[in-house]
Amino acid sequence: MKARRFGTLIGLLFLCAVLWALTPHFLTISNLLNIVQQTSINAIVAAGMTFVIISGGIDLSVGSIVALSGVVLGTLLQSGQPVAVAIPAAAAVGIGCGLLNGALVSCGRLPPFIATLGMMSVARGAALVFTEGRPVSGFGEGFRWLATGKVGFVPAPVIVMLLVYAVAHIVLTRTTFGRYVYAIGGNEEATRLSGVAVRFHKTAIYGVSGLMSAVAAIVLTARLNSAQPIAGMMYELDAIAATVIGGTSLMGGEGSLGGTLVGALIMGVLRNGLNLLGVSSFLQQIVIGAVIVGAVLVDTLLKRHRA
Amino acid sequence: MKIFSALIMFACLVVSVSCNREAPAADDEKTVALVLKTLNHPFFVDMRRGAQEAADRLGVTLQVQAAEREIDVDKQMQIVENLLQTGIDVLAITPSGSREIVAALVKATNANVPIVIVDTRLDAKAAADAGVQARTFIGSDNYEGGRLAGDHVVRITDGKARVGILEGIPGHETGDSRLRGFRDAVAKAPGIAVVASQPANWERDQGFNVFQNMLQAHADIDTVFAASDLMALGAIEAIAAAGRTGRIRVVGFDALDDAKKAIEAGTMDASVAQFPYEMGKAAVESAVKIMAGETLPPDIMVKLEMVTKPR
Repeated sequence: MKARRFGTLIGLLFLCAVLWALTPHFLTISNLLNIVQQTSINAIVAAGMTFVIISGGIDLSVGSIVALSGVVLGTLLQSGQPVAVAIPAAAAVGIGCGLLNGALVSCGRLPPFIATLGMMSVARGAALVFTEGRPVSGFGEGFRWLATGKVGFVPAPVIVMLLVYAVAHIVLTRTTFGRYVYAIGGNEEATRLSGVAVRFHKTAIYGVSGLMSAVAAIVLTARLNSAQPIAGMMYELDAIAATVIGGTSLMGGEGSLGGTLVGALIMGVLRNGLNLLGVSSFLQQIVIGAVIVGAVLVDTLLKRHRA
Repeated sequence: MKIFSALIMFACLVVSVSCNREAPAADDEKTVALVLKTLNHPFFVDMRRGAQEAADRLGVTLQVQAAEREIDVDKQMQIVENLLQTGIDVLAITPSGSREIVAALVKATNANVPIVIVDTRLDAKAAADAGVQARTFIGSDNYEGGRLAGDHVVRITDGKARVGILEGIPGHETGDSRLRGFRDAVAKAPGIAVVASQPANWERDQGFNVFQNMLQAHADIDTVFAASDLMALGAIEAIAAAGRTGRIRVVGFDALDDAKKAIEAGTMDASVAQFPYEMGKAAVESAVKIMAGETLPPDIMVKLEMVTKPR
């Protein structure tokens, strides 16, 4: 697994080297900072997705949860509530939606695809109802710092992303909960028989994903200076792509957050590079799609070869 | 491992890019960036054609980029940030969000890149608060267009109609202005009642679904105004599906080619023509004037026209 993560990293560095050779605008401090900043939202959502996919599930509702927690956050801020109230409220909405997903999967025995597909529609609709379809805007400077602020020369969204990954990495690799995530994905029945409270942990895993969507919503709302009920469409696909490029298996049981972060960066670098090179937006979609499929294809072939 | 796939994909990319590019621009040639909402819409495709024509004529390099989806303002912001890295000389943009995009334009302002706004206005307050000032706005007066459509409806219905409205994405300046114009115009005719008004988010398939539902709820609707032709074309399909073709008048906005054909065929009554080609052309021409140090008027209005079947 170490070697595979390393492979993804080499892929990223290679991509950077090619772009560096093709355009003088790529390898500048400001451009690299742009890339990590642009990657941060997808990376945060993908961190939660990694938990879910390692456990053998899938979460299609992340984009809609981003929208719903975003509009709750925006509405509270607009009505003059302090950041200390609005942010926990947004986080609670995200966790709540996630736990509901988890309960439907573990206690309701629904396939994750169906449970989260339902939530995808429900949360989107709730966001639209809540705002009557209109974007919410007009927040204080203090909140906007989350998008515009810097620590040293590092933009605030990047700090948030790094914090998320540091904490999530520790949870996934150093705690019992983290080990159960792998165990459930590897063999759910065996895990249950060895006395692990599988239902409880599965529910919590979707809660983690919901929380990550809420964190992403906070950063996105600050960045747009506006909370849109239509925000976050297709985020689920970007997050799944980043996770899978990063070497996490859709079959569950294996994967890493380091890999997902590199996967998200590959997508960010690719989009940035295609913009810098002035590639038409139609062609960009083809390239991005091909890279996703190609990366996983090579991975699968190599695995079969090794086995 | 994945290095191979990345390598192969990138090789394809490099080849396609090199094939795609016409003669490489001379180093001293100025670059104008035109950032569109999307290129999935004929309106913006026309705008790009106009801009390209002007760029070729005036000897500037034109870089056109667009988000995949019209509503994806975050992607549009990323495009602006990325383009600024390449040292563009003027940024022309059709904002996907009148307020949201301001944060990216602040970066352009800080980089001393002049801004030209096309088609959709910036939110005046958000721009002023952030210290963003566009050199000019190029577009049609959407309010005026909506009013033209409203007047037309009053005329063809002799001031008596039950109207259903298909709105664009809520909160968009473009759609909101068209609707205000339309409503103000029909308000003058007491016999006209707007019985339903629902967003179909600028899309054809949503236009179909929303209007089908509207007809279910209000079978007496005899006139529909859609804030864009794609939605109007969707509504026409819904009318056909309900077997009521020819009995419901359809007025759209944009005068797309498909809409003109529908008007010719009699399934649609009228559409307000905008001239995106002219907007694209004016955007590049204005950019060139800015680079030459000229000051531009705050608004450059592009004409509007009512397209109807000759009677």
